[in-house]
Amino acid sequence: MQAFDCAIIGAGPAGMSAAITLAKSGACVAVLDQASRAGGQIYRASADSPLPDAHVLGADYTDGATLIAEFERVDITHITQADVWHIGDDGRILFSHFGDTRELHCREMLLCPGAMERPMPIPGWTLPGVMTAGAAQVMLKSDAMVAKGAVFAGSGPLLYLIVAQYLRLGVPVAAMVDTTPRQNYLAAAPLLPRAMRNLPMLKKGLDLLREIRASGVPVYRGATDLQVLGDTRAQGLRFTSASRSHDIAADTVFLHHGVQPNLNMTRAMDLTHRWNADQLCWQVDTDAFGQSSVPHVAVAGDGAGIIGADGARMAGRLAALNILHRLDLLPQEGLDRAAAPDLAALAAMSPFRAFIDRLYRPSDALRLPRDPDTLVCRCEEQTLAQLRTGFEQGARDPNALKMLTRCGMGPCQGRQCGHIVAGLLSDWRNEPPETVGYYRLRSPQRLLTLDELSRFHAIPAPTEATE
Amino acid sequence: MKADVLIIGGGIQGCATAYHLARQGASVIVLEKDYVARHASGVNAGGVRLLGRDMAEVALSKASMEMWQTLSDELGHDTGFRRQGLVNIAVDETDLNTLRAREAKMRATGYTHERIIDRGELRERLPHVNPNCVGGVISELDGYAIPYQSTNAFRLAAERHGARIVEGEELLSLRRVGCSWLAQGSSTRFEADTVVNCAGAWADRIALMIGDNVPLSHAAPMLMITARMPHFVKPVVGAVSRQLSFKQFQNGTVLIGGGAKGFADRAAGSTRLDYAKLADAARTTAEFFPIMRRAAINRMWAGFEAYMPDNLPVIGPAVNAPRAFHAFGFSAHGFQMGPVVGQVMADLVLTGRSQFPLGPFRIDRYDRKVL
Repeated sequence: MQAFDCAIIGAGPAGMSAAITLAKSGACVAVLDQASRAGGQIYRASADSPLPDAHVLGADYTDGATLIAEFERVDITHITQADVWHIGDDGRILFSHFGDTRELHCREMLLCPGAMERPMPIPGWTLPGVMTAGAAQVMLKSDAMVAKGAVFAGSGPLLYLIVAQYLRLGVPVAAMVDTTPRQNYLAAAPLLPRAMRNLPMLKKGLDLLREIRASGVPVYRGATDLQVLGDTRAQGLRFTSASRSHDIAADTVFLHHGVQPNLNMTRAMDLTHRWNADQLCWQVDTDAFGQSSVPHVAVAGDGAGIIGADGARMAGRLAALNILHRLDLLPQEGLDRAAAPDLAALAAMSPFRAFIDRLYRPSDALRLPRDPDTLVCRCEEQTLAQLRTGFEQGARDPNALKMLTRCGMGPCQGRQCGHIVAGLLSDWRNEPPETVGYYRLRSPQRLLTLDELSRFHAIPAPTEATE
Repeated sequence: MKADVLIIGGGIQGCATAYHLARQGASVIVLEKDYVARHASGVNAGGVRLLGRDMAEVALSKASMEMWQTLSDELGHDTGFRRQGLVNIAVDETDLNTLRAREAKMRATGYTHERIIDRGELRERLPHVNPNCVGGVISELDGYAIPYQSTNAFRLAAERHGARIVEGEELLSLRRVGCSWLAQGSSTRFEADTVVNCAGAWADRIALMIGDNVPLSHAAPMLMITARMPHFVKPVVGAVSRQLSFKQFQNGTVLIGGGAKGFADRAAGSTRLDYAKLADAARTTAEFFPIMRRAAINRMWAGFEAYMPDNLPVIGPAVNAPRAFHAFGFSAHGFQMGPVVGQVMADLVLTGRSQFPLGPFRIDRYDRKVL
């Protein structure tokens, strides 16, 4: 069977940039992506927005269309609506495509799985009507849908961005409840001078905050003790701010306190991971070119550590250059020369990233549930109290706890609750996250019908032009 | 750390042995390199099967089956055992002839727990089975349990009786000095009068330390489990001549086995799956039960399993050292035997005897006397 030189999974900024670089140097590339059009989460529908004027979403978003256009021009095999459910370190990729299972082989692979939002397990977080800021973005970008009169709670740039986008569209917002702890401002202050070198990014953030303040939307700062109100669905948010308890009525509550790498692919492949103590999350261990502990598997973009869309473009190009070198399509000197600008640019971004990471570091009170009745695992409906009982019965390892309580055994396979469970065990055992470990994630990476699995097809690489 | 008995391996055989020993007053340490039930005992298909056992195993398996019926009460923790019956499906006359020959052999030995059923009864018991199937065989005592819960139930009961379970501690060396076994773990030294090898897919290495050679191999049987679906099948289901095996648990999830093997890399401690073979298993399952076509697979995995060349376990004393015993190599059907093996091993350790004939399970049954 023929094989591709490189398969890229995910067509966000990292995947698209890498594909362009690889294709321009003559590599035979396949890009697999879930969506019907390239863009990833950040540039979702940027090339064909359902909004009358996509500029309200900001220039960062509309810039995505330029990258998408360039990506769609290069000569690669772009397989859209491909649901990748198995990635083998032997270079075999299995995915569902319109009800069939397809198999593709590649020499090198580049994973660009992107970021996912940090779970925010406050009491009531699983009630209908509670969503994440990311979900608000998806609704807005894909379907031009909004929720009127919603409360936005949490902290971090993405939360402020969606609030500002709502305001520009004239959608009423009940309140913005900012949970950034006051001490974070103090802790981040020493990092500010170096971050100032990246003035445009800093200004962008400040402008967002100014825009929200100027709109007259009630903004509460330093909020703690958050709780979603309502028995069968969300009816509002209760919290403490400036030593006073507040109840804000709303049908929709959007929660967000930062993003972390989406580990589903990299964990399922057993790549080496490390704990990022600055961002309080796990990430795959890579070198500057995204190369993982398995030499022919690279990871780029937010999926390898949160760096944002601009950083992801650079990381994608760098990974592609290294892959070209590994494919003998680029000599070492060429690699060094071509990589220098992006390496320098990424390094220049890091002081700003360090500042943001410190400023918006999530508080433990929001990262881990406190209330015994709060659900940790939605699929199997396991509460904090039930997990604690399992722990006391001797299940100290995340996988043992899973097998004892079924927490993480449901349809999402712990892809949602894994971070919380690992965090809780680290807390209870009073040991670092590295010692506690993580769920063993396995294929398939999504539900797969028996029918789909039973229909196997192979995807041949395009043959070289006959001479 | 000192104890009367040091058990290597915290799987169901090791934990059940610890339970039976501790219950009778022996001081016991279980040494487990990962955590209890990490491998075959925690990740197997959960089948509690007496049907179709090798004749050499029937007596043990039957005694174990009786223990399973009340095990949760005895241990004080739910094993998840449910007696649902087990049906092996016959697809044609050849299969039926196989079953009739087996039945004659069983009756001659005095066993009556397996019963052939006709097409009508098959349909009654399995309303969703492919109508082309012609009959089958049933054992009413059989069922399933939740592997991790069962093994952990033995562990907790053993601990209640004073057994000590040491997890995350690998046995690095073992030697007999005078009347003691001295064991070096990764961080602790242990000393015991007696050692019991229940180390599953790693048991050949422990046997070597004891002084016994054994032709043990290992493989990685693959399993798939679906998301919950409406209840459509009560008994555990297998087939006489096809690689079919599945069961629907109480929560509605369906576990599909069948024995297809992936790749086991013991040195790396990892398994890989053979997806083409899983696709075959998917096809076979849907062929027998068309309702399964829309079932949604949630997870696929494989676990390390130890095999002997004759697919029978090693149960009994070491041949080249005193005060050492083995229980391993169950060849992918040891989970059901756990309860009785625990008792047998405790008897061997405490009295040197067992009420069961253990001849077929001798560790030296493959030793060649002459070349």
